[in-house]
Amino acid sequence: MRDAASFDEFYRSTAHRMLRYGHAVAGDHAEAQDLVQEAYARAWRQWGTLVAHPAPEAWLRLVVARLSTDRWRRLTGWRAAVRRSGAPDPVAPPSEDSVLLVGALRQLPANQRQALALHYLYDMTVEDIAREMNAATGTVKSWLSRGRARLAALLPDISDERLEANDVA
Amino acid sequence: MSRDLSDFYRSLADRADPRTLPEPEVLRRGADRRARLRAVGTALTAAVLVAGVATGTRLVLADDPAPVAPPGGTPTAPVPTPSAPPSATPSGTPSTSTTGPSAQPGPTSIPDRAFFRLAPANDKGAANFVDAEVLPSLCGARFTTDDEIVQRRSRHVAYKKPESPADYVPDGSYVHTITIYEAGRADDALRELRQAVRACPEQEGTGGGNPATSRLRLLDDSGYGDESVLFEIRTDARDLEGNPVEGEEVRLIRAIRVDDVVTILWEQGWEGTSAERSQVDADSRRAVVALEAWLG
Repeated sequence: MRDAASFDEFYRSTAHRMLRYGHAVAGDHAEAQDLVQEAYARAWRQWGTLVAHPAPEAWLRLVVARLSTDRWRRLTGWRAAVRRSGAPDPVAPPSEDSVLLVGALRQLPANQRQALALHYLYDMTVEDIAREMNAATGTVKSWLSRGRARLAALLPDISDERLEANDVA
Repeated sequence: MSRDLSDFYRSLADRADPRTLPEPEVLRRGADRRARLRAVGTALTAAVLVAGVATGTRLVLADDPAPVAPPGGTPTAPVPTPSAPPSATPSGTPSTSTTGPSAQPGPTSIPDRAFFRLAPANDKGAANFVDAEVLPSLCGARFTTDDEIVQRRSRHVAYKKPESPADYVPDGSYVHTITIYEAGRADDALRELRQAVRACPEQEGTGGGNPATSRLRLLDDSGYGDESVLFEIRTDARDLEGNPVEGEEVRLIRAIRVDDVVTILWEQGWEGTSAERSQVDADSRRAVVALEAWLG
């Protein structure tokens, strides 16, 4: 038996973070909405099991990341459902920095986007990211390093010194 | 003015407006509605098919075809507490780090959708999950990799040839099994299977009721999943009463590995029919497609 109250609480307490993460991983806000909604829909369908999971938010991030790499095949139905439910509330125009970052992220491989998002949005260490992405810490360091270097080349006014100073690796 | 990446990520985080997500009640209703629609579609399909299923069939209709894979693994990555605002600032020291297994291990459970569906022209609309032997006896061989199984599920599937009328008895059947092995052990399982077949060129009986001596051999095989093993079992044919008749009964068994998962199609015929390679090949391809779609 699925407990709607506990799901709703989980959803309300994590959805905003998950939407940020989806945005950073998918590189598109509208697509992030689709991904995140689909991920939560899956979570609800198996909430009876997931409620006992030690880290349901990490599980959800994994679903979002996978969906983002497989979005066209999996999301057709959900997009139609969202369209039927009506247009979302109006959203403020994005800031210039947001637009610049999203444009730059689209030029990064998926694993670099994911590692950077976990670090910058979830404040996770290299070891934690490695655990979540099932990768070696050296690999994660490489993803972070290359991702930062690439973003630094694509974004204005980012110095190498600042990148080094913030490098947790 | 020089900035760091966290400024950009903070800007991106600000852009993610939670008002663009539905209320949880709306999301739950949408998810449930989709699940109901799937179930209704399946029930209608089953109702149409059941009218054409031959009497005396020993199978039952498959139930819910599209359950969702349960959460795999036990992720223990740090999860910020609900009240804590998400940080946009990189930190040199973890504040909520925990240790434990990855959030991204191999699968730990097998959903129904991992099992292939027959082509419409072959579909008898009859399949059921069973607790069955997944392989014929191979001179009593035992597989050490059985100790490395994470989960295994089997299904019995009847099929018909495209030209056979829908109300005839099936032309053949499979025991179709999917097994998840511990990481890196699925290839050992296939190696053990090859060795077992090589070591068993002949044995008494086939495990299918025919007491005659059967002859086993590996067949060349490629192009299925990461690797595959195909072997045949040939036995002098018998009628339903067990009396020798002219011809041979041929069984084909193919094991296919995709990552740490192995799927096995054991063609068991139907009342003495023999396996046809083209049918087994086609269904093996469908099995791989279903497996890869599940594994993503």
